[in-house]
Amino acid sequence: MHKKILDLQLPLSEKQTINLKLGTIVTVSGLVFTGRSQFHIRAIEDNIIPPIDFEKINCFFHVGPVMEQKDNKWKIVSIEPTSSIRFERYSGDVIRKLKLRTLIGKTTMGSNTSAALSEVHGVHLTKIGICGNQLSRQVRNVRNVFFLNELGKTEATWVFEVKRFGPFFVDMDAHGNNYFKDLDAEIQPQLSKANKILGIPEGFSFTNVDVRDF
Amino acid sequence: MIKFSTIRSAMYEAMCKAVTLIPPDVELFLQKALKEETEPLARKHLELTLENARLAAKGEGLVCGDTGFPLYFIKAGNNTKIEGGFGTLWKAARKATMQATAKSFLRPTMVDPLTRDNPGNNLGQEMPKISLKFEGQGNGLEIIAVPKGGGSEIFGTFYKMMYPADGETGILKFIVESVYKGCYAGKVCPPAIVGVGIGGTADICMQIAKEAAVLTPLGTHNPDPRVEKMEKKLLHALRHLGLGPMGSKGLNAVMSLHIRTAATHTAALPVAVNAQCSIGRRWKASITGQGNISFTGDINA
Repeated sequence: MHKKILDLQLPLSEKQTINLKLGTIVTVSGLVFTGRSQFHIRAIEDNIIPPIDFEKINCFFHVGPVMEQKDNKWKIVSIEPTSSIRFERYSGDVIRKLKLRTLIGKTTMGSNTSAALSEVHGVHLTKIGICGNQLSRQVRNVRNVFFLNELGKTEATWVFEVKRFGPFFVDMDAHGNNYFKDLDAEIQPQLSKANKILGIPEGFSFTNVDVRDF
Repeated sequence: MIKFSTIRSAMYEAMCKAVTLIPPDVELFLQKALKEETEPLARKHLELTLENARLAAKGEGLVCGDTGFPLYFIKAGNNTKIEGGFGTLWKAARKATMQATAKSFLRPTMVDPLTRDNPGNNLGQEMPKISLKFEGQGNGLEIIAVPKGGGSEIFGTFYKMMYPADGETGILKFIVESVYKGCYAGKVCPPAIVGVGIGGTADICMQIAKEAAVLTPLGTHNPDPRVEKMEKKLLHALRHLGLGPMGSKGLNAVMSLHIRTAATHTAALPVAVNAQCSIGRRWKASITGQGNISFTGDINA
C-alpha cells in the first residue's frame, strides 16, 4: 500500500505545496514539531515560542502524544492526531509568525487558517482513520522536547524525526480550497433528503421562547 | 465482603483493557461498515482504524492515543458489602486511574479548567468520575471502565430544551442536526455510536444520553416499541446524509443509535445527544461477592 503513496520530504518547498491537490494521499519524511492549545495561546498572547529553527523544522503536527520514559529514553506509546479546528482562533497568526508550510492534524480548519495558508502557500493534512499506533512506529527518533515541566507531556512541544509518516490526505491546499467545504456542498441537499424521510417539514422551527423576538 | 484491593485492581485492569482492546460488538460493526462502504477513502479510514486496534491488542500502543476522561460506571446489588464502605469506591478509582496513568495506559489529560494545570495523573475535582447505581438483590459489583475520548465528548455533545409543541418532529430535527455537526470533517471520529436522552432534568437528560452511547450493546434497541421505531427511522435516514467514516463520503456516519428516556416536567421536552467515537471503548469487570473478578468487552455478558 505504502509503495504507491507519494512521500514528501520535509520541510516542504513552495514548489511542492502549490501543486498539492485536495484529496491527494501522502506521507511525509523529515522533522516535525508538536503542539496543541497551549502552544497556540502562548505563541500569540505571550510570545513564548520554543527555540526551534522553523525554517528546518517547519511541519506543525497537532497532537498530544502518549510518551513513556524508559532508561532515560523517551518512547512513544501512541500519537493520535488531535482536532486542528480547536486552534482556529490563533492558527492563522501562528502560521504567519512561523511561516509554516505544513500542518498535520485531525478534522479540518476554518477561514482564518485558510487565508494564512494561502499567504505562505501552506497546506493542512488530515489523518486517515484512527492511526496513532501506525504513526508512532514511523517515528525514527524523539529529537527534543520543550516546555515539558511547565506544560506536561501532553501539551509540551516534541520534535520527532519521521519516515514515511502517514498516510494523510490534503484537506486544505495552498490556494485557499478546502476538501470538506467542497464535500459539504454535496451533503447539504442530502440533509433535506434525510429530513424528508423523517417527515420533518421544510422550514420547521423550534418554539422560540425569547420574548424579545415577539 | 469485597476487598478494597480487589476493587482497585478490577478498576485498573478494566481501564487498561478498555484502552488496548476493542469491544467485540464494536469490531463487528466496524467490519460490517467496511463491507458496506465503496468509496476508497471511506474504506481506508476503516481499514486503518482496524489495523490500529490490532496493533493495540498485540501490545503495540493504544486503540486511541486520546485516552480521554476516565469514567467508571458501577452497579452494585442490594447486598453488596465493600471493605471500608461504599465511599472507598472513589478512593479505589483514584488509585486505579493514577496507576494506569503512571504505566502509560492513560495519557495525562485531565487539567484544571481555569489554570489549565496538569497534575500528570488524571486526578482532579470530580475526576475520575464514578456513576453508582443499585440493581437487584445480589452481593457483587459490576464496573465498566469508559475512557471517553475528547473528540466525541467535545464535538459530539448537544443539549436543547424544547417544548411539548415541538414534539417528535423537533426531536428528530435536533438529532439530525447534531449528528451532521458532529460528523462534519470527522470531528467525533465517525462511524459514531450516538446516544440520545429525552426527558428528565438537564443533567438526567445528558446522563442517559451518555449511558445510551457508552453502555448499550451495538445494534440493540430500546424495549419500548415507540422508541425503537424512532431509533430505526433515524438510523435509516442518517444513512442518506452521504457522510461516512471520519466525515468522508460514505454511508456510515452512524453505526448505532440508542435512545433512552426519563420522565420530565409537563412543560418541558429536553433532548440531549452524546456521541461515542468509532472505537467505542469500554470494558467490564464483574466481581462476585466472594471477590472473584472476570473481565469482558461484551456489555451484555
